[in-house]
Amino acid sequence: MGEPGGEEERPLLGSAHNDCPQRRALPALCDPRRLAHRLLVLAFMCFLGFGSYFCYDNPAALQTQVQRDMKVNTATFMALYAWYSWPNVVLCFFGGFLIDRVFGIRLGTIIFSSFVCVGQVIFAMGALFNAFWLMEAGRFVFGIGGESLAVAQNAYAVSWFKGKELNLVFGLQLSMARIGSTVNMNIMGWIYSRVQDLLGSTGHSTLGFTLMIGGVTCIFSLICALILAYLDKRAEKILCKEQGKTGEVIKLTDVKDFSLSLWLIFIICVCYYAAVFPFIGLGKVFFIEKFKFSSQEASAINSIVYIISAPMSPVFGFLVDKLGRNIIWVMCAIVATLASHIMLAFTFWNPWIAMCMLGVAYSLLACALWPMVAFVVPEHQLGTAYGFMQSIQNLGLAIIAIAAGTILDSRGYLFLEVFFSACICLSLIAVVMLYFVNHLTGGDLNWSAKKREKLQKLAAAEAESREKLRRQNEDDLAKLQPKNDFSLRNRYLSKLGAQLPDNYASYVSALAHRSVLK
Amino acid sequence: MGGSGLLPPPLLLLRGLWLLGSFSGLLAAAGGYRRQVTLQAIPGLNSSSTNLLHVRAVGQNDTLHYVWSSIGAPTVLLLYTQSESSALRVNWTKLLSASPAGAIWIEPPGSVVYSTAIVFTKVFEYNGANVSALSKGQEEPFYPTYDLAGFSWQSVNRTVNQTALTARFQGVDTSDPGGAFGNGTISFQVTAYEQGGRDGPLPCLLHTANSSKVEFIMDNVAPRGNSSRFMLEVVTVEERGGRKRLQSVRSIDDEYTPTIFEMAQLVSESHNNSIGPSFFQWKTTAYGSREASRENAIRCRYRPLQTANQTLPGPSIAHAYFGEGLGLSHRIAAINISFGGEDGEIYAEKGYLSWSALLGFGTPPKDAFSPLVMTIVAVAMGTPVVLLLAGGLVVLFARRKRHSQYQPIN
Repeated sequence: MGEPGGEEERPLLGSAHNDCPQRRALPALCDPRRLAHRLLVLAFMCFLGFGSYFCYDNPAALQTQVQRDMKVNTATFMALYAWYSWPNVVLCFFGGFLIDRVFGIRLGTIIFSSFVCVGQVIFAMGALFNAFWLMEAGRFVFGIGGESLAVAQNAYAVSWFKGKELNLVFGLQLSMARIGSTVNMNIMGWIYSRVQDLLGSTGHSTLGFTLMIGGVTCIFSLICALILAYLDKRAEKILCKEQGKTGEVIKLTDVKDFSLSLWLIFIICVCYYAAVFPFIGLGKVFFIEKFKFSSQEASAINSIVYIISAPMSPVFGFLVDKLGRNIIWVMCAIVATLASHIMLAFTFWNPWIAMCMLGVAYSLLACALWPMVAFVVPEHQLGTAYGFMQSIQNLGLAIIAIAAGTILDSRGYLFLEVFFSACICLSLIAVVMLYFVNHLTGGDLNWSAKKREKLQKLAAAEAESREKLRRQNEDDLAKLQPKNDFSLRNRYLSKLGAQLPDNYASYVSALAHRSVLK
Repeated sequence: MGGSGLLPPPLLLLRGLWLLGSFSGLLAAAGGYRRQVTLQAIPGLNSSSTNLLHVRAVGQNDTLHYVWSSIGAPTVLLLYTQSESSALRVNWTKLLSASPAGAIWIEPPGSVVYSTAIVFTKVFEYNGANVSALSKGQEEPFYPTYDLAGFSWQSVNRTVNQTALTARFQGVDTSDPGGAFGNGTISFQVTAYEQGGRDGPLPCLLHTANSSKVEFIMDNVAPRGNSSRFMLEVVTVEERGGRKRLQSVRSIDDEYTPTIFEMAQLVSESHNNSIGPSFFQWKTTAYGSREASRENAIRCRYRPLQTANQTLPGPSIAHAYFGEGLGLSHRIAAINISFGGEDGEIYAEKGYLSWSALLGFGTPPKDAFSPLVMTIVAVAMGTPVVLLLAGGLVVLFARRKRHSQYQPIN
């Protein structure tokens, strides 16, 4: 629980600044209190994650080249993704802890960025020296940095934009992530052919140089991390503010208290993403072989999911907020995804239709699924729930990635698509069960926004009376009261903009976890 | 509906699938029409180049004769006879003479209902690296052609395997101007089938009892350039009334040949519809390793079928069977099949290339979904629907119960 009382009583704005010595006027761009400066910081923040997002999907963008130059089968190729996921099965429980308690946000960000850089360099070296195990080691190191860097990035966002343009910032960061992936998909093949022209032949060294060039984006991100650290330090001096924190509390013993609904959400999440990311990882060759696409076309269609989700995520986020009924939305998204997988598997229809549908469904799912976790878990367990969700998701991704590679090598794309469809069906089963479980237990997952609004009014009235009570009672009764049903509903308030400390807002925790949202 | 109901379905599903999968395997192995097949290397004069392999497949009221030979260009004659006792006759002295017409015939001659021949004439080698030159329609720079008729072939007698029903014609270029055949060979591996089924190794072609497989293998033939590609010329001989047509069968099903979605086939359109057409079909892939697998797949392309003004360059046993006036009495069509795409030097690395094709009578076999795929689809799609219905009923009952027990709040 931390020290919510202390934080609640502190005025949200202003008074702390009075203790600081009077400062001379600064130009707008250099003054941490001014919007112009915050926008400058925002730019660095966005590019902080660019490198890791760019390099995460390097293998997918260069699948044919990697397999040909390193002479590996698809299962071994997919191990590159698995090795990224393995460290995160454990690390996602500790990312927040490391930032808050061990390194601090500034050092933490620099360390994680360095991991990303070093990982990518090792990855490229592996290709240069024609040692596939070294490439896997590189992906492992890269994975250690990658996910934790996303947590750090969001902690920065909270620290700089708390109570200001936070939603916009999160939106921009997500868009930037998607742009990173998209640019990677469409440019790496081209870089490879340039390098090939330069060296005169294909081969592992061509691949190595190409990946090294891709690694420049990581260096760029590391530079952003250094600049951010400097700016944050400076702002801390000028504004006398504290170093940003993720505010995550993870207690593994909470796992035993997780409700059936939460477990069902986990199943949905694991099965759904397992059928999307490995598919994108293996998709390029599929479009080339089955639909006779050129290499560039295949890259373009493979990145369309990311391209669509960049503008659609905010739209769907808004829509789901306004309409409620999350389960129905999730169900729609899953059915649409299933349909698109079936179209890809069993027809020769233009794959752009299926892939665009997949992109839309994927954005809708992200917007409807992750807020549900906040509805079925009390706030103090939220960090654990998200950490756990991300952990098993990484575990699922790692296993499914290797399984998908093996299936492709031995049974081909039709079977692979059928396998992915079966995964989606499993998450469909889970969401159908979730619907009924929620219905039978009188859960609140599928309420319309109107009903939630009614509840919010009720809660607000109750909060007001409680506030009165608290003012009367210097002993702060409210704090001593056990958590009742009402206080658990506070999470709605946080979603609807009521005043809660930012580290208790459900979406902040959610956004801190990249793969939940990706 | 509870937590306990959550785990068993996937487990059950898996077990069910495995059972079904193994059953379907048994069924596929057991089913189908069976022929009595004998493989015999016909002894000729004592010379290594007089390879004549006779595959005789006796069925009910008919016999299929496949006559494989490396006398002249490697050739296979496909003869369909409506008699269980038809026999192959060879006049060796005539066959090896300058005018071999009539040296090979079937006894009784009247039993032959349909005949066709496939001749593997040449192997071209060209520089295939320059994509832009290709797309601009420019001629690829060709190296001197390997003429398979001029090759020296090892005795097929030693390679006949009666149990596996295989035999191998292995040859080297005797002239060999570039020294490419130092350790290298070009071979044609022949496999006959007694009944329908599917090959074990890739490309896992589906075959019937009326078909045989030929595998074109280049082993260690040194490429003459940095980005050499090879191309095989295949010539078909069809009776005057019929005609070969090139078809591309694209399928969504790549389960048996991963990532290959296209089957190319030459199908004869016979003037006499009562006798099924013959076919020559291949998956558009070759493999660059003895252990064929997806990562050593070599792209295989084919050029349009050339039918106009074709002649069959001799010598070959096609001349011996069909006679010297082959060009006039029969339709001849030629197709070039190339191996290797714009990128990838798989052949240069391993020095191995294998390409399989199936030839036979009747309608060409067509892949169907495996029972395993059908089961997964059925179970995966069915379960959510069943669950939806069951859950709906439960909710309906639960609501009725609740309504009877409690008053509405408002």
